[in-house]
Amino acid sequence: MNAIIRTSGLTKHYGRVHALDGLDLQVDEGQVHGFLGPNGAGKSTTIRILLGLARKTGGTAEVFGQDPWTSAVAVHRRLAYVPGDVSIWPNLSGGEAIDLLARLRGADTRHDAYRAERARLEEAFQFDPRKKGRAYSKGNRQKVALIAAFAVPAELYIFDEPTSGLDPLMEVMFRREVARVKAAGATVLLSSHIMSEVEQLCDRVSIIRAGRIVETGSLADLRHLTRTEVSFAAADPSALDGIPGAHDGTAEDGRARFTVDSDQVALALPVLAERQVEGLRIEPPSLEELFLRHYGDDLAALEGAGTAAGRDDDGTATPGTRAARRAHEKAAR
Amino acid sequence: MYASPPAARRSSSAPLRTLLRQRIRRDRVQLLLWILGTAALAGAAVSGVASSYGTEKDRIELLATVMANPVILMFRGLPSGAGEEEFTLFLILPFLAMMAAFMSVFLAVRHTRGDEEQGRSELLAATSAARLRPLVATIVHGLAANVVPGALTAAVFAASGFPPAGSVVSGVATAGVGVCFLGIALTAGQLMRTSRGANSLAVWILMAAFVISGLGNAIGTPDAALTRLESSGLAWVSPFGWAENSRPFADDAIGLALLPAALGVVLVAVSLVLQSTRDLGEGLVPERAGRVHAGAGLSSPLGLAWRLTGGATLGWAVGGFVTGLLATSLASVISSIGSQLPSVRKIFEAMAKGGSLEQGMVVIFYTIVGVLAACAAVQTISRARQEEAHGTAEALLATPVGRVRWLAGYLAVALIAVVATAGMAVLGSLLGVAGRDGNRGLVQDALVAGAGQALAAGVFLAVTALLFVLVPRGTIAVSWTLVLVALLLGLFGPLFGAAEWVTNLSPFAQAPVPSGDGVDVKGLWWMLAAAAAGTAGALALMRRRELHPAG
Repeated sequence: MNAIIRTSGLTKHYGRVHALDGLDLQVDEGQVHGFLGPNGAGKSTTIRILLGLARKTGGTAEVFGQDPWTSAVAVHRRLAYVPGDVSIWPNLSGGEAIDLLARLRGADTRHDAYRAERARLEEAFQFDPRKKGRAYSKGNRQKVALIAAFAVPAELYIFDEPTSGLDPLMEVMFRREVARVKAAGATVLLSSHIMSEVEQLCDRVSIIRAGRIVETGSLADLRHLTRTEVSFAAADPSALDGIPGAHDGTAEDGRARFTVDSDQVALALPVLAERQVEGLRIEPPSLEELFLRHYGDDLAALEGAGTAAGRDDDGTATPGTRAARRAHEKAAR
Repeated sequence: MYASPPAARRSSSAPLRTLLRQRIRRDRVQLLLWILGTAALAGAAVSGVASSYGTEKDRIELLATVMANPVILMFRGLPSGAGEEEFTLFLILPFLAMMAAFMSVFLAVRHTRGDEEQGRSELLAATSAARLRPLVATIVHGLAANVVPGALTAAVFAASGFPPAGSVVSGVATAGVGVCFLGIALTAGQLMRTSRGANSLAVWILMAAFVISGLGNAIGTPDAALTRLESSGLAWVSPFGWAENSRPFADDAIGLALLPAALGVVLVAVSLVLQSTRDLGEGLVPERAGRVHAGAGLSSPLGLAWRLTGGATLGWAVGGFVTGLLATSLASVISSIGSQLPSVRKIFEAMAKGGSLEQGMVVIFYTIVGVLAACAAVQTISRARQEEAHGTAEALLATPVGRVRWLAGYLAVALIAVVATAGMAVLGSLLGVAGRDGNRGLVQDALVAGAGQALAAGVFLAVTALLFVLVPRGTIAVSWTLVLVALLLGLFGPLFGAAEWVTNLSPFAQAPVPSGDGVDVKGLWWMLAAAAAGTAGALALMRRRELHPAG
């Protein structure tokens, strides 16, 4: 596989703050690669180094096999970028800003093909190009950057939380456009903290925490690392006896639950079939749970702080906290 | 319906107090500088007059010259007599008032339209502060901010042994013009949709009022003793004219000193009415729809830089043109005058060594042209920093545009702005000579002085570029401060008898000037070297500079 983006041992220090702390990231040609992490984990810093807007402190970073700091112009000829919080020029209309960015990326904006593509995207994203920049809402500023990025073909698209501020309809349009450029052979790096978006779009996922990649692989790979939750109707915990591979068995509200390693689900099924259990539900781990596997202790700490502050809490566990607790328990083992 | 719990209910003035505290907190450094600067200017004037014009004879001589050379009145106040006190006020009052006016304009726009444009007002208006209280808080803040420099000015004069009544009138006149421009800027903030637009409108009114008052005095009528001047009707159009006609220490006309403040209060009321009738975020001057497709010019970093700063460049060039026009058209008036008083000659000699009085006037006016050109350069390069802080530079630099090329675009536009400002000034001077059929030699003087001041502005261009590369977050504040310091040294240094080396720290004072039939090159070579090396250095260092967003 031909690596489009490759970093190894990448570090970036701002004074005493280590924004990146030995980051190893590889994005291969034709991939849609999800880059997951909460705010402050180092996603945007990584992207700024990949764009040559910030200089690495140590390690290596390559885009198209070139150093993005020294060969920024050559690298930028082949990519398109959409930041998470788009700023546009207050006294330029949206249409002018799109044309400017497209021209700087080498497009001939008077060419019919470009005009037609821009018109198609404006239609898809329901964007009015006549307003001045200062009059646009956050979502509309985001559309300026998205239309400018998609209107001119690129080999690599870098999106930094691109759908923040977009409504669900526009998110669908965004996913459609990503699918289109992927079909055309482009590579995409999609930084996000919206799990459903990444789950639907990405072939591979890298999870970043405190400036390092803590998990990387295809979604299928990652799922194997975690447990699948199985539940069925039962009155008491004894219903769980003798199920091979079952962990964390509980029985509440008339349902028995247990978890099983994702690659061992099939082993548990014959016993369940034999007992003719009812209301059987098998839930593979969502990306959110994968993510919380790495961030569960943060969440537990936050919830502790929330409870300590006397927050009104009726004690019911949400799916998120359940996953967090499980992750926490697992980490403790 | 929910009743708010009694414990949570606060008096209705609580939000106002909170808003006021927030304004003071936000402005404390900035306002302190303006206020102390104003008081220091008053103090410098007192000691300057004591050292340079210590005797009544000196002062009478200077006033007589001024009456005969009305062009000086463009840059000074209204002569009211030869006493030390009224003479000091003649020299400094318009500038004290101008400081208060600038302080008030920026304060008013910052807390009204500026906040509104950034969306902060919306956040505040959704609280119990509602739509009007932030404006009320700004008004209270602005009025208080003007009382302080007014009181300090009065205190400085009184402490120098000037009579208390006149000191108070001086303070009232200073603060009054400040309040007047508080009202003008608040109204401008209601009319315009952007803080840039509101600031421009208010500053243009300020400059026009200053020039109109100066012109009105210049065409006024002197008394028989040539120590006192009656303003012409034109000066009465401008708040500066009202303030100056209060004549502290001569007439002490407190009513006239209060007149600008009265206009200010009316305009403050107008801004309150406008604020209560319009939608938040909207202006009364409607926004035009933009183009659907970008024009051909908008296709390179240079094109964008021009698009963003071209309008301001035009403004500076117009200022240059007017200054150049005045330089020769008013200087021509002087040629008939033979009085060569030593005290006046001292000033001119400091600025145009050994030249004629006429030539000296051209040099003084072109110092202003140099300041305008430097402002144009600093503003253009500051725009690059604003782009970086705002985040739009990031979008641009993520395309195949190198950092060096991006900065070079702004430097090129800054150079165009400098050349345009100086060039338009020379063109104005040419018209001034042609219009009055004056001394043709002045055109050559204007050309030399214009080229020299363009070079001085070039030094500021290079210094600002270096600041941008090396200390991005300080670019805007430091570069404007340098221009202000150089302006004060260059314009006031000779007047207040500062040592020559102090005056010569200012590039404006180091620019080549016409001297007799030749040219005094002064700092030509080091300024040329500094401008070239600074610009080249900035571009070279930009290769290794990261992007520094705001924060």
